[in-house]
Amino acid sequence: MRQLFANRTSSILLQEKCDEADEKSVSKQKPGDESGNTVVVAPPEFRFMYPEFLPDPAMERRNRLKEKLERIDMLQRRSVVEIPEFYTGSVMAVTVADANSPNKFARFVGICIQRGGSGLRAWFILRNVVDKQGVEILYEMYCPLIQKIEVLRLERRLDESLLYLRDALPEYSTFPLDMEPERRLNNSVVPINPLKVKLRPRPWLERWERQNLQGVEDLNLPQRFYDKAEKVAKPWEKYDLMLQYRKTIPAEEQEKIFSDVHSQLQQQEFKRKMRRRRGTDNEQ
Amino acid sequence: MSTLGLLRTLFNPKIVTPNAIQLQSLNRSPFLVGLFFNHEQVRTMSRVKRRTTHPPYWHVLKNNQRQDEKISSDNLRFVREVIQDKYKNKSPIKGSDLDIEKKEWDPKTKRSGVIARNIGVQHMWEKDGKKVVCTVLHVLDNHVIRYVPPEEYAKSIIGAKVFRNRKPLGCLVVGAEAANPDRFTRQYCSLFNEVGLLPKKRLARFIVTPNAVLPPCTPLTAGHFVVGQAVDVYGKTIDYGFQGVVKRWGFKGGPASHGATKFHRRGGTIGTGRDKARVWPGQKMPGHMGSERRFCRGLKIVRINMKYNVIYVKGTVPGPTNSIVQIFDTVLPRRKFTEAPPHPTYFPPEDGTLPQEDIWDSSLHVFGSPSISV
Repeated sequence: MRQLFANRTSSILLQEKCDEADEKSVSKQKPGDESGNTVVVAPPEFRFMYPEFLPDPAMERRNRLKEKLERIDMLQRRSVVEIPEFYTGSVMAVTVADANSPNKFARFVGICIQRGGSGLRAWFILRNVVDKQGVEILYEMYCPLIQKIEVLRLERRLDESLLYLRDALPEYSTFPLDMEPERRLNNSVVPINPLKVKLRPRPWLERWERQNLQGVEDLNLPQRFYDKAEKVAKPWEKYDLMLQYRKTIPAEEQEKIFSDVHSQLQQQEFKRKMRRRRGTDNEQ
Repeated sequence: MSTLGLLRTLFNPKIVTPNAIQLQSLNRSPFLVGLFFNHEQVRTMSRVKRRTTHPPYWHVLKNNQRQDEKISSDNLRFVREVIQDKYKNKSPIKGSDLDIEKKEWDPKTKRSGVIARNIGVQHMWEKDGKKVVCTVLHVLDNHVIRYVPPEEYAKSIIGAKVFRNRKPLGCLVVGAEAANPDRFTRQYCSLFNEVGLLPKKRLARFIVTPNAVLPPCTPLTAGHFVVGQAVDVYGKTIDYGFQGVVKRWGFKGGPASHGATKFHRRGGTIGTGRDKARVWPGQKMPGHMGSERRFCRGLKIVRINMKYNVIYVKGTVPGPTNSIVQIFDTVLPRRKFTEAPPHPTYFPPEDGTLPQEDIWDSSLHVFGSPSISV
């Protein structure tokens, strides 16, 4: 029972089993800086697990003090509500306080098709098909109306954005509203679902043939679509280092940000685990 | 005076200033000119220059030309230490010093304002779950530089204009953002000699009543304001540069298709052929947009962080992120103070107890508190 609740970022449990795969998850300790204190560096996966802690890269609008204050507020909110690790492609359930619902709480289950925003503005979109009607809801992660966020199935897909599910057959977006959380067999690695989705016949909402989608089956379009896509494509962008630089936060800054945040997040994880254990012990 | 002129003065009780342009339409009958077809458009702003790139002529030259002084890094460090020792940025003024001359607050008091930097926008939520966009303002290291008493200020160029027909008030010169004296001229640094502080990058004047006077070297912090009060924020708007008529004035332009030849974002007609037979001053045309001084009035303070000297204000503020703004108590009559605020300013308590670090307005949801259930 205990192993199932083990979180791979907990350094306490990982010290017992130090595999090749798990070594990456252990928080490293840098050889000391000038003052002689050891600097704890967060695991490198933090930038995928908690991407909203990184600020918007646009340099004109950046301010270190404001980012710091925002991070403090985010951690405060996280101490009250558990915002778990999730990726686009994960199936999640969100419970929100709603005055118009019969129970005053509204629960929605869906697959995360997109996530974005930075800081307290971080959001994600859940999609499901309810009574043959596709429904998408955008949730702001730090909104105080959210009571609970559960990840029912933690997995990734081949694409960062699953907006093509809007043009796909409905069975790919349908998830039962009373779905139970699935238990993961291997806790250290988030599985990538190599599913290739079948799209409905055209017309579509976007020109999917121009977007290099990996998670979509062969589109079977006439050749002229692919020719036009080639004309419009920007193949040089993958060599454009400055473009990538401007879109991301430099590695040194990321380290600094996550080392700030890491210890607090670890503490919160630990407290939650203790609470859960006490809860299961009480039940038993 | 002719009958025409008499009738015009009777029906058009406007004060004619040199800048105003009055159109006297000779095509219409004199009785109707003032009553129904008022062609007189007073364009007082048409000749006024809205922005300059140079400071007023009575200002001292501020910035030094950069000189390539070839000194070693050790000597540079020594110079910096000397500057730090000479100009201690800590103010010797404590609250107890002011107790002797502490003056009473009354509703007509005008307190000093504060110079701050707009560091961005943060979303917060109210207790019913409604999202609120708040601007984060970082109160810089403000110190009072000088006080100009009312009689003296009324004789200055700006003071004479401001107090032409009313009782003069005093003026507090406040500085913010201490910087290395090397980058400023000697004349600019001499402005701070009396106070004994590092020269400040920014200076501002705040009109104050004599009972809200602060002695030089007094620090002003975020505690000067009270959570829940309304403030006016004064700043320079975002500079959009040379902009066309669609963005600058909101014109509709022309049709995107249907055969429109080279007429998509243009202004179109700029006048009729008949009245006045020329383009009127003030005609909306492309030009420089933005970078103008504006006020945002009556913004409510929803949160103050005393540790970092940061104020969260509900709404948005003129200017881009990281620009300097000035914050004052509001002028709007229904949102002014009813009780005494920290007067003349806030001083930390003498017994060394720290103030509450983070003060929230009662309408806001505090992040560490449990989720809202409706």
